[in-house]
Amino acid sequence: MSLGYVVKEGMAGIGRAKLAAFTSMFSLFIAVLLLGLLARLGYNGYEVAQSLKKSIDVEVFLMDLDERTTNELSDRLKEEKLVQEVSYISKDSAAAVFEKEFGSTGSSLADLKFLPASFKLNIDPDAQISQVDSLVNQIQSYRGVDEVRFNQQLLKRIEANFETAAMMGGGLGILILLASMILVFNTIRLTIYAKRDLIKAMKLVGATNGFIRRPFVVEGIIQGLIAGLLSVGVMFVTFHYLLPEYISELGILEWPFGRWYYLSGAMVLLAVFMGFWGSQWAARKFIKKTSISE
Amino acid sequence: MSQQSVIKFSNVTVSFDHRPVLDNIDFTLENGEFAYLIGQTGAGKSSFLRLIYRDLLPDSGRVQVADLDITSLPDKKVPYLRRRLGIVFQDFQLLPDRSVYDNVAFSLQVTGEKKSYIKQRVVEVLGMVGLSHKRKNMPNDLSGGEKQRVVIARALANEPRIMLADEPTGNLDPEASASIMELLKQINNRGMAVLMVTHDYDTVKQYPYRTLKLENGKIGDIAMDEL
Repeated sequence: MSLGYVVKEGMAGIGRAKLAAFTSMFSLFIAVLLLGLLARLGYNGYEVAQSLKKSIDVEVFLMDLDERTTNELSDRLKEEKLVQEVSYISKDSAAAVFEKEFGSTGSSLADLKFLPASFKLNIDPDAQISQVDSLVNQIQSYRGVDEVRFNQQLLKRIEANFETAAMMGGGLGILILLASMILVFNTIRLTIYAKRDLIKAMKLVGATNGFIRRPFVVEGIIQGLIAGLLSVGVMFVTFHYLLPEYISELGILEWPFGRWYYLSGAMVLLAVFMGFWGSQWAARKFIKKTSISE
Repeated sequence: MSQQSVIKFSNVTVSFDHRPVLDNIDFTLENGEFAYLIGQTGAGKSSFLRLIYRDLLPDSGRVQVADLDITSLPDKKVPYLRRRLGIVFQDFQLLPDRSVYDNVAFSLQVTGEKKSYIKQRVVEVLGMVGLSHKRKNMPNDLSGGEKQRVVIARALANEPRIMLADEPTGNLDPEASASIMELLKQINNRGMAVLMVTHDYDTVKQYPYRTLKLENGKIGDIAMDEL
């Protein structure tokens, strides 16, 4: 079979049933745009949660230790998987911080050097609260450790909120995907139905089902490509011009992973895949069902 | 199936809603033969043709078409059966958005023929049906008789052994009907078997060939004077 024929017919097919083709493209466009928006908002939500989690430090207050024991403890803490960074705050530094935060009122107290030395641990933001809990308990038992503190309540709240948002976003995403797939498949089926005379004529002269199907699949891919590119275009305009102009307090919602092409590529690929799959499925079903004598 | 026959029905029965439309039918169409199939509306004429181009399977019995046993033919092979048949319907079934040339060329494109052969063959068959000068016209620019000629040209393009015509003159005026009949006669004279379904008895009398009548699910040859 000539590839040229299939591609030519697939492209011509869009022009032959303009309204049906427009409806298919529009439903693909809306579906992919909604999923793209959800992905971008979801990613930014995740980033906010991660940066909040990053700001939560675990503070390990030490007893009066000699330098060797302090260094040993520091090495031991650095070996912990969840610990990304360890910084040592000596008694003097603690006093300086105290003085800075409480001003002149604090300076007399700071002279007393009653504040203990401590380690400030940066924890992996992907760590679960239960993991941080057990790490804290573990560190608590180390020799030379007086007390371990971290803002468990805040972490709990971030984690719970993020889980709720992720579940809602994921559920919404699946719903949109399912609804859009049904919508896309049905509109593609209408596009194919609009060409039932062509299918009948092709069957009449002995075209195989595969031959009849291929131009429809090419048409579905082209529709997907156009819909995908349009939805990416709308994303650009929305996030780079409209939102900063009208809801400036929202700030710039970044492209996932800091690059425009990951999400854009995924959106175009998804639209092409949906166009391909939808037309393949609808054409296969409809061609099989079509009788030449109806 | 004998060497000479191109269509053979053996004890074929077809029922719709438990009502037999074709009841234990035997029928043979010889190579190069012209035959009419007549009968009242609902007598089963179209079902008879549908069996031949495998749009319908019999409840029992055997149908053989151009060396193929269509009762055991896998679905995948059905297009190859249809390439051996030229099928002409009353309602033309032309593609309105393609020119006369493209409508005919299309039947060769689907079988994967080369572009150069397609061009040569389309010119040839349009010449045979007398429409070379209208190859660039769209179907809507043509008269009913001309449309039917395009359909016949399309049916001829793949050089089939059998032409099936379901009421080919049904939508045409007497003059156009006569020209289509002349064309079918010419095609038959070249050696192609023609099976034509009609209820236009005047045409049957004017172009006398073997005539079969379907009635109450049974088929039988009838003489001209019985019409």
